[in-house]
Amino acid sequence: MIVIVIFFTELAQCSNGKEEEEVYTEELLLRPLPDRKVLTHFHFEHKAPFNQQQHQHYRLFPKAIHQLVQKFRIREMELSFTQGRWNYERWGGFDPVSSRNVKPPGVELWAVFDVPPNQVDETWKNLTHTLSGLFCASINFLESTTAYSAPVWGFQKISGGLRYGALPREAVCTENLTPWLKLLPCRDKAGLASILERPSIYNGFYHSQRLRLISRGFESREGVKPEIVLQQTLTVVLQSDSQRSRTTNYGKKLQTSWSIRSIFGRKPNDICVLANSSTIFLELDRGLVYEINKLGVELDTASEDNAAFELKVIPTRVIKEEKRSLNKGSPVAYEFSMDKFSAGMLQDIGLTWKLPIVWACHQAPYHTSRFLMGSGNERGSIAISLRSTQFGMGSRIDNVVDGSKVEVVVFQVVPWYVKVYYHTLQVFIDGQPKMVADVVEKLHVSPSEDKVSTGAMEMILKFPSDVNLVVLTMEFDKGFLHIDEYPPDANQGFDIPSAVISFPNSQAGISYLEDNFTSSPMLQKFKEKNVLLSYTEVLLVPLATPDFSMPYNVITITCTIFALYFGSLLNALRRRVGEEERIFESKDSTKTRLLPLLLQKLFPRLRRRQQQPQSSSPSSLLGSKLILKVILVAGFAIGWHFYFG
Amino acid sequence: MAESSETLESKESLISKEPESNTIASEMSEKEDEFDPKTMRKTKPGIKRLTLIVAVLFSFIAGLPFLLKSIEIYRSPLPFREIDTLTKSFESSTLNIPCRFQVVYLGFSLQESEDHQSYVEKQGFMISDQMRKLIGNDTVCGGCGNNYTVSVTMESGADCVRNSNFGTACLWQCGSVDSSRLKDDDEASDELLNSALHGVDGCSDLGGKVYTVMVINKDEETRTVVGKHRHAWIAGKVTEMDAVPMIANVFVKFFMNGGKEGGLVQGEFMPVGADGKVVLSFSLLNADPQDWIYDWDFKKLSTIFVAPVVEALEAVANISIESQVLYHTPKSSFSFWDEKLSSFVFSTKDLPFFVNSNEWHLDTSIAAGGRSKILHFVVYIPSAGECPLVLQLPNEKISMTNGFISPMWGGVIVWNPSNCLRDSNSRHPVRHTLSPQDLQKVFEVFIGQLRQLFGLHSDNHFTAPSGVSSFLTSERGFAEWELDALSRYYTCSNLISCVTTLGSLSKLVQSLPRMIIKDEIGKQVKVSLEAARLAQYNASLGVYDSSTVSSRQARALAEDAFFHPSIMSISYYSFEHCFAIYTPFFLPVSLHILFAAIKEVKRYKQERTKYFAWKAKVKLKS
Repeated sequence: MIVIVIFFTELAQCSNGKEEEEVYTEELLLRPLPDRKVLTHFHFEHKAPFNQQQHQHYRLFPKAIHQLVQKFRIREMELSFTQGRWNYERWGGFDPVSSRNVKPPGVELWAVFDVPPNQVDETWKNLTHTLSGLFCASINFLESTTAYSAPVWGFQKISGGLRYGALPREAVCTENLTPWLKLLPCRDKAGLASILERPSIYNGFYHSQRLRLISRGFESREGVKPEIVLQQTLTVVLQSDSQRSRTTNYGKKLQTSWSIRSIFGRKPNDICVLANSSTIFLELDRGLVYEINKLGVELDTASEDNAAFELKVIPTRVIKEEKRSLNKGSPVAYEFSMDKFSAGMLQDIGLTWKLPIVWACHQAPYHTSRFLMGSGNERGSIAISLRSTQFGMGSRIDNVVDGSKVEVVVFQVVPWYVKVYYHTLQVFIDGQPKMVADVVEKLHVSPSEDKVSTGAMEMILKFPSDVNLVVLTMEFDKGFLHIDEYPPDANQGFDIPSAVISFPNSQAGISYLEDNFTSSPMLQKFKEKNVLLSYTEVLLVPLATPDFSMPYNVITITCTIFALYFGSLLNALRRRVGEEERIFESKDSTKTRLLPLLLQKLFPRLRRRQQQPQSSSPSSLLGSKLILKVILVAGFAIGWHFYFG
Repeated sequence: MAESSETLESKESLISKEPESNTIASEMSEKEDEFDPKTMRKTKPGIKRLTLIVAVLFSFIAGLPFLLKSIEIYRSPLPFREIDTLTKSFESSTLNIPCRFQVVYLGFSLQESEDHQSYVEKQGFMISDQMRKLIGNDTVCGGCGNNYTVSVTMESGADCVRNSNFGTACLWQCGSVDSSRLKDDDEASDELLNSALHGVDGCSDLGGKVYTVMVINKDEETRTVVGKHRHAWIAGKVTEMDAVPMIANVFVKFFMNGGKEGGLVQGEFMPVGADGKVVLSFSLLNADPQDWIYDWDFKKLSTIFVAPVVEALEAVANISIESQVLYHTPKSSFSFWDEKLSSFVFSTKDLPFFVNSNEWHLDTSIAAGGRSKILHFVVYIPSAGECPLVLQLPNEKISMTNGFISPMWGGVIVWNPSNCLRDSNSRHPVRHTLSPQDLQKVFEVFIGQLRQLFGLHSDNHFTAPSGVSSFLTSERGFAEWELDALSRYYTCSNLISCVTTLGSLSKLVQSLPRMIIKDEIGKQVKVSLEAARLAQYNASLGVYDSSTVSSRQARALAEDAFFHPSIMSISYYSFEHCFAIYTPFFLPVSLHILFAAIKEVKRYKQERTKYFAWKAKVKLKS
């Protein structure tokens, strides 16, 4: 009997081993930022075989996402919910986290479908509705053609079937996070996600929750393993609770010391047993390591303590970058495997500073910003400025391919009510106007169509690498919306989604030593040479907002004017002028004129004075009649007001 | 255009006015003595202004229909009368679908003295009579009601006598089965009879569903066996007379009513979505993966066990399957430790709180579009802290299946790991897979639950006081006669649901005269009505499958029409709104015109009397 049981368990293990292709990993990256804040980046990754023909049973992979991929034939998709804006100047823009995981405020969604070109729009509409149901967000507003666009080459180098849409004003909150966590096998019951305490992460300075989906297997190409990858990342910038900052005898302020407990306010529960690996990395970036090295502290050993700082928990490993350059310093990551520590120890992972260190994060070669010019409700212009950062200099020179030229790709989507005149595009380099053809190498414009489609602009700029400031301006007219098209609170203005600026020459990637991280999908992701991306600000355009009761006012006044005109015309046709005059004259001979008669009626005293001999009884009767009339009218008015007012 | 012509007219009238007044003035001076200008006039009163005003008023009134037409909203014509007649036809009588029964006596010797034909007729009448008694007066929706025929065949040796009810050729072929070949093995006998009854010709399709009871005269104890197809047999030492109540019992209780005493579930509790689709969502819940993790080979389960069931129920519903494994899903009710049973016990009172909707993210399925129904089947694996977990029935006994159903929602099974001990103290528990034996057990319970959800007995091995000794089970979970009963029943309830939906739609549409009705809705209603009629027609012929399919279609279309987004929206153009827009123009203008017309008519009458007065005076004078 025992033998049989053992045999069966063996068999089960065997079959498990054979089908053990579903991989789920969870990782957390912690990195101190120069302005006393801490970057926390969660990375949850599912990897599963994908067979589109038949029903697939998954052990870990969420059913909802699998059905989504199968129903809409999604080849790639990215959905992000972001609150707050990434501070490129302080928090850097040249590392994998900031170039791949930083997203514009609100919701951003792009997807690539594996359907015939004429069905892409239909599929996109259905997808937006499904996603808005899944994530409790108004993603369905991206359904209309006035809300999304189909970039050709400016956004991603993907051929065909790509749709891009953004909702800058979408508010992000817990109701979006909960369904996102539901996709994780352990949810927030165990593992890394259990430290996500809602108040602390929503009180952070930046919060971006992202879902990336890649499926291979629709096109049955040779050599491509049909699989489906779901990456869920959460990037939060937080500040430690402990506000006390010690000053050393040098007089400089120390950086804030922090630990997981102090930044999240919660300790992790037990590990998620379903995860193939759960790891916490504590990363010190290039600039910081350079500064520490300058102080003569070596970070090679996995010791918890050195002259510059103290790690409260001894890391399992220290990982360094593969190729090291002495002048810049290379990032160092301390790895903590969660299953080697108890929950109590995990909550203490953090940094305690011993020396005051000031450093700056690695910047993208150009700092981008976008702003509006002009005033009034009629027209204005959009300006995009690229300002060179001196920190980016070194890397920029490293990576420039074409001699001394820098390449920048700009992609921006503008809603139809901002009518951009693309012929007014002007380029200023270091304040000097330049010919557009000299700087813009490639330009693709799909102009907007009123109430039908958005306008999209994709262009490649090429300019010398020693340029400090590049400014692009475009003029636009503000359109008028139909009264139905105004959103609630229209006076607030309309948001134009962020423009995407990418630097194809510069690639952000950190390749940690190869043999160390085969199990870590996050570090593998960091190693990928990706084009550097940065998002500009969201623009707020005030449009002329009508008084919303206007249509009824217009209707009423027009009708009244018409009625007056019609009435007077009818009168003119009908009246007998000659006869009336005759009657009037005949009356005139016997009686007083109409006006004095009226006056007499109105003011009985006047009449009494004029016609003294007459008896006073009819006049008093008339007076009482008038009073009665007045009372009647007043009573009617009060009654009307009481019942209908 | 109208205005310009009016102004022209007015100019003309002004010009013509002057000579008229001149003549009056001259005549006034002439005959002042006898002519009182206040009461009489010499000329005929002019009718120019009158015609003008009347023309304007007339054109105004004539324009009104055009205005009403222009502000009219589009309403696709709906066949209200046809809906009404259909509703009435359903109200007056329940839908009865004809059934055909036959009784075959095998191995009975006929007495020479009697007329064989009349004897067989008598048998048939007796059985029908007995059945009528059993059915009583209450006809079930989708039952056969009194719309059935019983044919009797008596085979004895080479003789073959039938009663007059044999209509078609789909009856027992005498001599096709040798009674000696019917052995004790029920399964084999069942197949043999099936091949004899249906294998001959293509009887099984159009209207050829004949329910058969074989009465086999044998030298053994009397047994009644209901097969998995459309027949049963009574074998043993039994006389023709004794067999009559047994036969009637089998016909009415099983073949007619599907084996359930109180009829099947009510129409609104039918676990089929309005569009005729059902999604079976299988979930395996690991209450606490820190203790142990279980997985199942769902592919095997779905291909071996579920697929035949799906195929069997094809006529009733369009079924799809999905599965998932969830973790960290504790139940939300309490259980207590029972020393006697040495297990944790939860009672039937706790069942309403067992399903933890906060933590069990069973999820609505994306695959199930619109109004499909999702039936959840959940295998709950308790954590080490509550293992083994058993269900105690109200009679203090332990439930055999350790599971329960929730009507319209699905079923839950608690599956306890074989030894409730945590594998080791390591932080990573060992992964297990449910063994094929366990999987089969679990699936058997699932099938029972599914049968219950559809309104059948969970277990067709029941030995109720029905006098039936054995039922044969189909590997598909549902016997053919059960499926027939289901499909008859669903045809009926689908049609009723379709008719009520259409009825409420027509009521709604008639009560809101200013609601926009799109052409699409009109079309859906029309097609739905047609499908309903087709289903009714097919049902009256006794073609179960196709009538079920078209009744499903009728219901789905009726629901589609009723829940059409354009009906749901409130964007209908209300009369108040219309009134508010047009009043500022039409109220003052119409007042102007009306007063002018009244004044003009009054004046014309006055002037005419003046003229006639003068005429009379002149006449008198002359």
